[in-house]
Amino acid sequence: MASAKEIKREKILIADDSEMNRAILADILGGDYEILEAADGAEAVKILQEQGHGISLLLLDINMPLLDGFQVLEAMNKSKLIESVPVIIISAENANVVAERAFNLGVTDYISRPFDAVIVRRRVQNTLNLYGKQKRLTELVEEQIVERQKNNAMMIVILSHIVEFRNEESGPHIQHIRIITELFLRALPSVAPQYNYTPEEISLIGTASSLHDIGKVSIPTEVLNKPGRLTPEEFSIMKTHSAIGAEMLEKLPMYKDEPLVKTAYQICRWHHERYDGRGYPDGLKGDEIPMPAQVVALADVYDALTSERVYKKAIPHEKAVEMIKNGECGSFNPILIKVLDKVSDELYEKLHNPDTSDDDEDMHKIAAEVMKQKQITASSRTLSLIERERKKFQFFAGLSDGLIFELSYTPYMITFMNDGAKRLGVKDIVLNPDKDEVFLKNCGLENIKEITRILRSTTPEKATVEYVGNTMFDGEVRKCKLIAYAMWSDDEVPELLGAVGKIYQI
Amino acid sequence: MTVSEFYDEIHGDYKGTLSRFLTEERMRRFALKFESDPSYDQLLDGVRAGDIDSAFRAAHTLKGVCQNLGFDWLYEISFEITEILRSGSLDVQRPLDELKTRYGVVMTAIRNMKNDENN
Repeated sequence: MASAKEIKREKILIADDSEMNRAILADILGGDYEILEAADGAEAVKILQEQGHGISLLLLDINMPLLDGFQVLEAMNKSKLIESVPVIIISAENANVVAERAFNLGVTDYISRPFDAVIVRRRVQNTLNLYGKQKRLTELVEEQIVERQKNNAMMIVILSHIVEFRNEESGPHIQHIRIITELFLRALPSVAPQYNYTPEEISLIGTASSLHDIGKVSIPTEVLNKPGRLTPEEFSIMKTHSAIGAEMLEKLPMYKDEPLVKTAYQICRWHHERYDGRGYPDGLKGDEIPMPAQVVALADVYDALTSERVYKKAIPHEKAVEMIKNGECGSFNPILIKVLDKVSDELYEKLHNPDTSDDDEDMHKIAAEVMKQKQITASSRTLSLIERERKKFQFFAGLSDGLIFELSYTPYMITFMNDGAKRLGVKDIVLNPDKDEVFLKNCGLENIKEITRILRSTTPEKATVEYVGNTMFDGEVRKCKLIAYAMWSDDEVPELLGAVGKIYQI
Repeated sequence: MTVSEFYDEIHGDYKGTLSRFLTEERMRRFALKFESDPSYDQLLDGVRAGDIDSAFRAAHTLKGVCQNLGFDWLYEISFEITEILRSGSLDVQRPLDELKTRYGVVMTAIRNMKNDENN
């Protein structure tokens, strides 16, 4: 029976083209670790792609066929795996240039030939300890941040529901406002690049949007819950809720200078202003109204239209969008009308499938942003999210016919899962597919060129492509369809890293 | 033939290797395994085919393996060949003949050690 300890053995990948060297290292390291072996650089990259940070340590030879050790390191830098998987290079090259170049590429340590059992074991153990400690600390901090964020968000939701609770028609209003607000803010730069909010800011505005109606606690229940039209007098009472909400925040004994509270203030006070200047309480016009308040105002109107009330039925999504666009329900920034047009389908989708895990998505984006700005290492949470996506993808792909591939541009190679390579009649790992004779013969240069062209025409937001072409499939030339998801980097100017996808016969 | 005698026979570094490998058992096991290491044949093939890249890689691997096993005598000559190939020259006939001689000695010693073990 396998004991818990055995199951948790750390995985060490040894990449060295000499079987003898791999065997000696594996023998020296003994049974304390699970040893994986790669006989060349391409195989090492494939195993790293598949197992990601499931690998605890890589022992890497520099001189190898197909891809050398440096190219493996470059690939690990591209995928950011270098930040979570420590690498020890094995080298007889005592030349300083080699060591320097390797260290510049993120290598942690080196073992020189000839192997000395004591030194090999020590260096491996030290590196694992160091990384293990760092990883545990990062996880601990992350857990606490996640926990704290969850508690904060929960408190806000509870408070705003108390407010809404008096308002008998509340329903999922607060949640809707938040979803719509965040969706709009994310799509804004595609219409108006000057409004480029960071994922952190978007999350903050989304949270603040929950507080937009807190001023309603001061509105008498008879007015708040009156079925039917309000008299002009009642309406003027109702209208005070935005200024009162803002005042409540302004008079907070603490925290009033916090970004969250400042943003919530803007939203509370100005979410009933109109772009044409005919709103309340201040009659602000056009860009005088802060963008977060403009967005929440539109979200509020949309949600009111599409929700059922005591005195009215719910209006269908398309009709509500039409009405807002035609100016029947207020006056909005033309930029936001364009955004509404753009996100209309997604909006419907998001509100009707509350299952879509926005939280994870947010965490992921925030993590990516923090990483970019503060240069910290990719957190294991971020990485495990990526990994989970990859697993999900493999799983679903495995359910249907067709073969799964992963394409990367640095290094330029295609890897096939399961029996995919066999069905196309090519190798499991095809390095430089545009020069691989077998691959070109079976799959065709035109196909490869065209697929690369299509992938380049995608964007990180719209990354899915389809392509139909003839290729060798299960032994004869058949018409096949390829569906792929282009993978772009998180950089300011995104770079096409590669794609994952499947090919099936049609 | 003991491990120590084997290393004497092939002009290897018994003491140094023992200090790195820690046990004689491990030294013997990997010395025997050297018989099936393909890099020597790959080197000869590479040189014969005039393929300088694969000849270099094979020489480099052979050198590394010999160094690890403490086969100093074989290591020295494979080092020499590696450096010639690294410089881009295929002019290795003389050291290659020497390599063949030394490789033969090592192989004979391995077989002797293996036979002793079996008896």
